[in-house]
Amino acid sequence: MFTNLTTTPVTRRQLLLGGATLGAAGLLSACVGSPRQQGGSGASGGTGTVTLQSSIQDADPKAALEALVAGYTGAKVTLNSVATEQFRAQLTNYLRSSNPPDVLTWYAGSVARAYAAEGLLLDVSPLWKGDGACAGYSDALRNLSTDADGKQIFVPQNYYWWSVFYKKSAFQEWGVQPPTTWDEFHALCENLSGQGVAPLANGIGSTPWMASGWFDYLDLRINGAQYHRELLAGEHSFTDPQVVDVMEEYRRLIPYFDRNMASYSAQEAATPVAQNQVAMYLVGAFATGYFPEDQREDLDFFSVPVINDSVPTAEEAPTDGFFAAARTDNPEGALDLLSYLVSPEAQQQYIEASKSSNLPTSPDVDTSSFSPLVQKGIQLLNETQEITQFFNRDSSDALQATADTALTRFLAQPDDLRSILEEWQRAAEGVFSS
Amino acid sequence: MSALTLGAQQPQAVGAAPPQRRRRRPARSPWLHVVMVPVTLLWLSPIVFVAFVAVRSFDDIAARGLGALPASFSLEGFSTAFADGGVLRALGNSITVTAFAVLASLALSACAAYALSRFAIPGRRTILLTMLAGNLLPPQILLVPVAAICESLGIADTRLALVVVQVGFGIGFYTFVLHGFMRGLPVEVFEAARLDGAGAGRIFWQIVLPLSRPSLAALAALATTWVFNDLIWAMTVLRTEAKFPITAALLNLQGGYASAWNVVAAGSLAAAVPTAIVFFVFQKQFVSGLLVGTNK
Amino acid sequence: MSAALADVEPEVAPGRPPEPRRRRRGRVPLLVWVFLLVPLVVELFWVFWPAGNSFSLALTRWDGIGAAEPVGLQNFLDLAADPIFRTALVNNVVWAVGFGGLSVVVGLSLAVALNKPGPLVGLYRSAIYLPMVVSLAVTGLFWRVMYQPGGPVNAALEVVGLGSLQRQWLADPEVALGAVLVAAVWRQVGYIMVLYLAGLKSCDATLEEAAAVDGAGAWQRFWRIVMPQLRGVNMVVFAVTVIDSLRTFDIVWAMTRGGPYNETQLLSTYMFQQAFTTGNLGYASAIAVVIFALAIGFIITYLARQARTED
Repeated sequence: MFTNLTTTPVTRRQLLLGGATLGAAGLLSACVGSPRQQGGSGASGGTGTVTLQSSIQDADPKAALEALVAGYTGAKVTLNSVATEQFRAQLTNYLRSSNPPDVLTWYAGSVARAYAAEGLLLDVSPLWKGDGACAGYSDALRNLSTDADGKQIFVPQNYYWWSVFYKKSAFQEWGVQPPTTWDEFHALCENLSGQGVAPLANGIGSTPWMASGWFDYLDLRINGAQYHRELLAGEHSFTDPQVVDVMEEYRRLIPYFDRNMASYSAQEAATPVAQNQVAMYLVGAFATGYFPEDQREDLDFFSVPVINDSVPTAEEAPTDGFFAAARTDNPEGALDLLSYLVSPEAQQQYIEASKSSNLPTSPDVDTSSFSPLVQKGIQLLNETQEITQFFNRDSSDALQATADTALTRFLAQPDDLRSILEEWQRAAEGVFSS
Repeated sequence: MSALTLGAQQPQAVGAAPPQRRRRRPARSPWLHVVMVPVTLLWLSPIVFVAFVAVRSFDDIAARGLGALPASFSLEGFSTAFADGGVLRALGNSITVTAFAVLASLALSACAAYALSRFAIPGRRTILLTMLAGNLLPPQILLVPVAAICESLGIADTRLALVVVQVGFGIGFYTFVLHGFMRGLPVEVFEAARLDGAGAGRIFWQIVLPLSRPSLAALAALATTWVFNDLIWAMTVLRTEAKFPITAALLNLQGGYASAWNVVAAGSLAAAVPTAIVFFVFQKQFVSGLLVGTNK
Repeated sequence: MSAALADVEPEVAPGRPPEPRRRRRGRVPLLVWVFLLVPLVVELFWVFWPAGNSFSLALTRWDGIGAAEPVGLQNFLDLAADPIFRTALVNNVVWAVGFGGLSVVVGLSLAVALNKPGPLVGLYRSAIYLPMVVSLAVTGLFWRVMYQPGGPVNAALEVVGLGSLQRQWLADPEVALGAVLVAAVWRQVGYIMVLYLAGLKSCDATLEEAAAVDGAGAWQRFWRIVMPQLRGVNMVVFAVTVIDSLRTFDIVWAMTRGGPYNETQLLSTYMFQQAFTTGNLGYASAIAVVIFALAIGFIITYLARQARTED
């Protein structure tokens, strides 16, 4: 999402500031506070009907959203679920329509900013002021949701973290411990390889963006979040020595990956982990849903170990939420529905029902009933100094496509590193110039 | 579709050998079966495989992978697809849209093909080829303008719009095929009708359409598979989930991050049933249609 | 039907009285004009108008959100220098030839083999046709699973002792396009077979018998007697194949998304990716223009050749 900052006046400074404040001060520091009984709940405004266009496809989160909408009393809500890819292709049509869906699921980023610049998104600043539903959210989230003119156009609802997931029982069986340093991590991989277990899972077949997970983390660990954001904003070249360092480190991991990773999707890659044929998987917390129900308690994770001590810690935590169409004929209804959807109670209900280990954006959600895994995730993000989202969200879907090509080719032909990086840089320049 | 070939050949076929004169060559039969039995099994294996996936439980798939043979038997996939997936409603939408779109496009194409094949319309060959060329456009690129047109006509997000778009996009090819068929109809029939004082409309209704039945039946079967399996237009024109056809509903069953493959497989099998029925019904129809044609 | 198309001068067609034709030429009834114009207008409005809109975008740079910025022919210059576009173009030619060639050869062979009625023949035909009722997107889904590293294809190779041929079918740039092609052909063959079956039914069996009496071999009879009679079907098969192969999208998208690293990109998938994943609608429109030009080129060339052979 930071790519377009070069063209939009929401300054990068603001965002970097956002990233920084996200750190120790913490997105979730207020989590323990008692839940305020506010939020939309249809108390005011919303009459008539409201349409909610959703790109949420996974079964449990989808059911959770349906349940949430069913509990809304402010207006009659029509919920339409559309497959994500089609949703992306149709988003412009939706927003340009004279009778658009009122509220839409999406994520903050370059796309949202571009729509806002065209005046297609509803100003949701009222929710961020006074006793609005988002008034108490962290500054980082506020910056993420703010457009070039300084008004809020996005309402974050939940986010999740990335880490290296593994099965506790399997680690026990193999007699290994989660590593705390980068050297230990390599030793662990060696050890597992020696036992005939592939150390690292991945699924870069139909989900080539999964290859960016390790790229992001290695860049965050070697060059730091600041450099990573600048790289993704086009301020550095992909042929820089810093990027070469990252790729060299990536190359060291190649022998450890599941040799079938290029055939798998992100989901299929979890099957060998479930079968104890592969040990660890760097993936978003949504991956818990890939495992059979009776294995989910067995899952644990550790953060990618520190590689360079002098680099501030950083984690990836993509944020999802809603925006509303500027052309809605029921702006009050849209705002009221949004207030309801992101109220602490609704967030709590949604997260529990969606079984996806996602985290609430509202500081007022009582997280004490969440699973130990989720608690640990919250703690991880509270303690880290920097937070990024993910390659495409920190840059753009267009730049993601260049990364997919470069990284999947690199993983198949690591010896072509130089030409791959040159080609990547050329493609990236095409993206930044357009 | 098959029938149009008949059309081209018809002048020769008139008065040709009756079908029972076909030779039999029993000597070749064993080899036919030796080859065809494995080929058939191989051909059906992907479908059988999907049926296996459909009757497995999610946990079985998650634990043992998609490629494994079933270790569980569960109708969970089917019940989920029909309960939450809205598969039945979507099937209903698909059937409605397909029926109207196929009927309307065949009706319009038959009119155009009649005009182009039996009358000296200036530039008719160019018109025909232009219409066919319209079918060569990649639909993906028309998404944005078509959505805008539907919007400005006020029919966005209606099934009517989907029918109209499907008709517009099908006409060219159907006209091309029907034109070929109608061109081959024997001239004598028309002359006789004209001598009886029949006008262009009556000839079309009483002679051309009945004679074109096999061709229309075959095209209907083809058009059904095209329209029924369309996803991209449906997504362009519709946005209310309750109006989505089965293809969009199936896509929705596949998760963004995680897919319940058993549900997807069950839904896919259910989605294939209507087209399978149409094909097997029409198969008889156009084979018998062929025979009717040759007797005339 | 090819005959019909090539029939520019119907008057010279032998065995047809030229006189009534001439009479009709002067006067096309109003109703017939309506018959022609209504469908024509529908198609012009829903296909050609949006196509015109889209093609004009090929001369712009447009992200689909802001205003389109005219750039002249820049998109086409960029295309010429774009390695992925070149890959896609080559793949598309390979695809059209492979997809068309394989489905015609296999479909025609099966039609000839299954032309004569007999025990089980109906069953064979139905089995071959059955994949056609499955949508392309779902076909892609089936086959992605078939090709998995531990999936049925590799398992079958192991069983028949060809374990050395096992590979990661969709992840290996050498074979990925071929693997997708097999899946697409699997679905298309039944359709081509049905077309040829219908064509064979209308062939004049007496001609072939006469040739057999004269001592012509089966192969010779097929090429000399049967094939010429199938010209009409060939025409339709050709049109269907060109349309289907240039419009191929769903199955590639479902199976490889153009990967690994763009090695299985077709023009249609690359266009979709440019338009809707990366938001370059102008560039995508330029690709669409190329697709359209290719399709027209194919069709015109074939029709022209066909028209010449008719004369």
